[in-house]
Amino acid sequence: MLLRCITAAYLVYLMVPIALLMVGSVGQLWLNTLLPTGFTTQWYRDVAQDPSFRRAFNASLIVATITCIACATIGLAAAYAIFRAGSARVRAIARVLYLLPIALPPLVLAFGFILVFSSDTLPWLGSIWLLAAGHVVLALPYFLQAVVADMQRLGLRVLEDAADSLGSTGWQRFVHIVLPALRHSILAGLIIVAALSIGEFQFSNLVAGFLNRTYPIVLLQAFYGATGFACAATVILLALAMLASIGGALVAGGATRIKVAGA
Amino acid sequence: MTSRDDAVGLEGVTFRYPGSDAGVLDIDLTIRRGELMVCIGPSGCGKTTLLRLIAGFLKPDRGVIRLNGEDVSTLPTRARECGIVFQAYALFPHMRVWENVAYALRVRGQPVEERHRRAHAMLELVGLAELEDRLPAQLSGGQQQRVALARALVFNPRALLLDEPLSALDAATRVAMRDEVRRIQREQNIASLLITHDQDEALSLADRIAVMKAGRIVQVGSPGEIYDHPADAFVAGFVGRANVLDGTVVNHDTIGTLVGPLLTRSHGHPAGSAVRLLVRPERIELASLEGGENVLPAKVLRDRFYGAVRRIDVAAGDGRLEIETAKREPVHAVHIPRDAVQFLS
Repeated sequence: MLLRCITAAYLVYLMVPIALLMVGSVGQLWLNTLLPTGFTTQWYRDVAQDPSFRRAFNASLIVATITCIACATIGLAAAYAIFRAGSARVRAIARVLYLLPIALPPLVLAFGFILVFSSDTLPWLGSIWLLAAGHVVLALPYFLQAVVADMQRLGLRVLEDAADSLGSTGWQRFVHIVLPALRHSILAGLIIVAALSIGEFQFSNLVAGFLNRTYPIVLLQAFYGATGFACAATVILLALAMLASIGGALVAGGATRIKVAGA
Repeated sequence: MTSRDDAVGLEGVTFRYPGSDAGVLDIDLTIRRGELMVCIGPSGCGKTTLLRLIAGFLKPDRGVIRLNGEDVSTLPTRARECGIVFQAYALFPHMRVWENVAYALRVRGQPVEERHRRAHAMLELVGLAELEDRLPAQLSGGQQQRVALARALVFNPRALLLDEPLSALDAATRVAMRDEVRRIQREQNIASLLITHDQDEALSLADRIAVMKAGRIVQVGSPGEIYDHPADAFVAGFVGRANVLDGTVVNHDTIGTLVGPLLTRSHGHPAGSAVRLLVRPERIELASLEGGENVLPAKVLRDRFYGAVRRIDVAAGDGRLEIETAKREPVHAVHIPRDAVQFLS
C-alpha cells in the first residue's frame, strides 16, 4: 500500500508540470491564478508563424536524424568490435572509455569544440554537421550500452559460430543474424539517441551557429515573453522529442524488416 | 595413422592458447563413417578445444586435420562443412524453427520451396514437424536441442560435432534425448564426435570413447574396453567408480595393500615391486565374518541407498573401500573375488 502511494505521488509530481504546460498553452490569460482563463489556439499559431522557431524546428530534426544515422553506424561497428575483443581487459578499458562522455559535462565538450573548430585550420564552428558531431559524442554511450548488453545477453558469439559452421560468410552473418537479432536494442538505443539530441541544450547553446540553432536554444527566449507562448513552444518540444523517438523506432524497425524479408 | 576411409582424422594435432599452458597436445584420433565417438574428460582437459579445432574455430599449431580424406587444417569453418550442435542450442532467436533448420540451405542459395521441403523432412526425422512455424523461445529445452540437431544435419555435413549437447537439459529429458541423438545419428550414418563430462552418457552412447586428460588422449576404446581394461588409475576413476589400491608384491599371487593382503590371479610382477590395483565396487560381495579367501572384516562408514543399489563406504584394514550392492542386509565383512582384482599400469 505504501509502495503504491509513493509510486502514485511520484507520478503526480511527474505529470503535473506537463499537464500544466498543456493547459497553459491553450489558456488565454494566466497571471496570478492557479489555472489560466479562456481558451485559445493563438499561442500555437504564433509559434508556428515565428520564423526563428520554424527554422529551429527543422534544424533539430536534421541534427537528430544525422545523429541517429551516425550513432547507428559508428555504434554498431564499435559495439561489435568491443564485443569481439579477445581479452576481458580490453573490453573493460573500452567500456570505461565509451562510458566516459556520460560522466563529462557537455560544457567541457563544448569548450573543446570551440577551441579546436574556431581555428583557421578547422573553421567549422557553427555548421550543422559539427553540432551533430557533438551530439554523437554525447549520445553514443547510451546506444553502445544498450547494444553491447544485448549482444552479451543473446550470446551473439555462439550464434555467429553456429551460422559460421552452417556455411555463411561474414557479411551474411551480419545481415542475417547480427542485425535482426539485435533489432530490439538497436531500436531502443536509437530512441534514446533521438530524444537526447532533440532535448540537448548545454552543448548546442555554445556550439550552434545563429542560423542553425536547435529548438531548445530558441525556446529559452520564449520564456521572456508571454506565458502561453512559452507553454505552447515547450509542448511542441515535447511533441518533437516524441516524434523523433517514434521516427527512430520506425526507421530501425523498417530496416530490420527489410533485412529479414530479403532472406 | 589415419586412412582415407576415415571421415575424421587427426594426426599429431597440437594447439596451445596463446600465453597459457592450456590446449591439446599431439592428438591422434580417427572417426569412421557412421561412428559415434564420445570424448570425455574433466573440465579443462581440452575436449572442447579438440572440437573447436575440427570445426575450424581454432587453427592447429601443428598437425593435420582431415575430413573425408581432405586436409582441411587451413580451411575456414564455413568451408569445412561440419554440423555443430552447441551446448546452449544457439538457435537464431528471430527465425522460425524451419528457418533455423533451413539456414545452411539459404546461404547455399537454394530456392525457398526446396529449403522449406528439406527443413520439413529433417524436422520430421527429429519429430518436430508440427512446430516448424514456432519461434525458438516457444520451445522447451529438449525441443530446441532437437531443432539444433536438425539444423546441423540438413546440409549433409561431413561430420557431426556435438559440444555437451545434453548438459543444459534436466535429468529426465537428458536420458530420453540420449536415445534420440543415437537414433538420429544412426539413421544419418554420419561420423560424429560428442563431447561430454558425463560418464553415463559416454558409456551408453558411444561406439568408441576417447578419454582426455590435460590436453592428451589417454585411452581410446569401446565402452566395454574402457570400463573393463582402463589404461590407468585416472581412466578407471573417471569412467565408472573405482577402488584404486597401491600395493607391494608379496609373491606370484598375493599383493600386500592397506586393506590387507589380496590374493590375485598369478601375475609376473617381481616380489617387492610396487603395483597399483583396481577393484570395481560392484565386484565386491558382502560376506559373513567366518573368513575365507580375500574376506575382509569391514566397518561401515557411509551407507547410501539409491533404490536399485546401495553404495557403501567401508573401512577395511588400514584402508577404505567403496562397494555397490543390491543386497539389503547389514555389512560386517566383504569378499573380493580373485578375478575382480585388476592390475593397472
